[in-house]
Amino acid sequence: MLGRLIRHELRATSVTMLPVMGLMLLVSAMANLALRFMDGKDVPGVLVLISGIVVIIFGVGLFALGFVSVYVMAMRFRNNLLKDEGYIMHTLPVSVHTHIWSKVIVSTLWYAATALCAVLSLIVVSLDVGFIKSLGQTLGELLKTLGDINNLELLTEVLVMLVLSAILMSLSFYASLSVGHSFASRKMLFSIVTFVVMFIFWCLFLYGVNYIVLGIRPERFDLHIDDFMSAWRLIFAYICALITAGGAACYLITAYFLQKKLNLE
Amino acid sequence: MAILKCSGLTKSFGRVTALEAVDLEVESGRIVGLLGPNGSGKTTLIKLANGLLAPGSGEILVGGKKPGTETKKLISFLPERQCLPDWMSARDLMGFYADFYDDFDRAAAEEMLKRLELDTGKKLKHLSKGSREKVQLIMVMARRAKLYLLDEPIGGVDPAARDYILETIISNYNPEASVIISTHLIADVERVLDDVVFLNKGRVALASSADDLRERHGKSVDMVFREVFKC
Repeated sequence: MLGRLIRHELRATSVTMLPVMGLMLLVSAMANLALRFMDGKDVPGVLVLISGIVVIIFGVGLFALGFVSVYVMAMRFRNNLLKDEGYIMHTLPVSVHTHIWSKVIVSTLWYAATALCAVLSLIVVSLDVGFIKSLGQTLGELLKTLGDINNLELLTEVLVMLVLSAILMSLSFYASLSVGHSFASRKMLFSIVTFVVMFIFWCLFLYGVNYIVLGIRPERFDLHIDDFMSAWRLIFAYICALITAGGAACYLITAYFLQKKLNLE
Repeated sequence: MAILKCSGLTKSFGRVTALEAVDLEVESGRIVGLLGPNGSGKTTLIKLANGLLAPGSGEILVGGKKPGTETKKLISFLPERQCLPDWMSARDLMGFYADFYDDFDRAAAEEMLKRLELDTGKKLKHLSKGSREKVQLIMVMARRAKLYLLDEPIGGVDPAARDYILETIISNYNPEASVIISTHLIADVERVLDDVVFLNKGRVALASSADDLRERHGKSVDMVFREVFKC
């Protein structure tokens, strides 16, 4: 059933996500042309101004792409499980856990696709544009330096951390929305309040674990570059454990509220 | 074995008691009218049977099991409100229902849609409200379920649509199954009911076979309802 739900989720979300990504790539192509205009000589001021606006739209669009992706995924959870569509979804012969996992997996896939789209947009905008090429070269050299340390392991661990963070983000939205929508009215307001309260608790938890339990103090932070990989491995394992703990708490809250406190309109 | 059994079923929302100590049994093969004024607890009872709400106390069993993934395979549910995703077409919906329900009869759904002369490739958001409601009913009635729970299926529709809805229900339900129709529009559904359950303020005020009730009171179910719920 999980596979069927994922397939259905992908279809439902692609209705919004694919046009957004297509639009972003179109804006990137337009921004590329605009940059070429601005690079040229004897270009009329009006065209430079228009080109500048297109480039600004590209920059804003790149940030908006990330925001839209997160917003669409959170609203999909809300509309599909906590509003009218919930009458259909919660009466399917599927457990609440399967519902949550399908949403988490599909959201993570779309976040990855969004990141890919952002990279693709940057490539499109920088095709044959001189100063962006040199910026790209600098970034490439920086990555190479980092890569020399232990490229494959480091890259894998960073990817794992990014995926876990994306899952935590999705689950924190799901938990807030599930709690907020268990109230009879002002559901979105209560969802936001829940998110803020959860965030405060998360900060207190991190403070408690870092400062009190583990005794980590800024003055004790003594990291030698010779030990980079062993120090990094320790930090990586520690951060992954924290993210997993946060994710598990959000998952349990979401599952509890969907099972016991569901309040469809 | 009763397909639906409630024992001492109670559900409260804060200080408001929606259902109180409800004892009820629905046998297979019956069409049951769950009748009561607005706020009498009809929708709450249906939501509890569907597992959309958890009981406060008491027990509700569907096919001998507590509401869960297994009982959802037995129930075909028509909610009170229109809740199909509007980006889908009727054809997409048939694929969706066939994906999740083994008992979905696609041929029956196609036949019902054909009779409605509805473009199955058209997205639901481009259909009229009435057509969307009919598509939702068709998806529900095209299942060969053991229990059909229909929450206010004729509420807010014109008399011609009421006839279509009742006709669709009568001619398409699985004869071995039970149908529970929740409504306060008794006169329209009376002719199709085998049994009636009157709910008043969360309690079962009366449960009887429709024929017995008519014989005992010498009146139609609608008239008896009006007497029981007289303001």
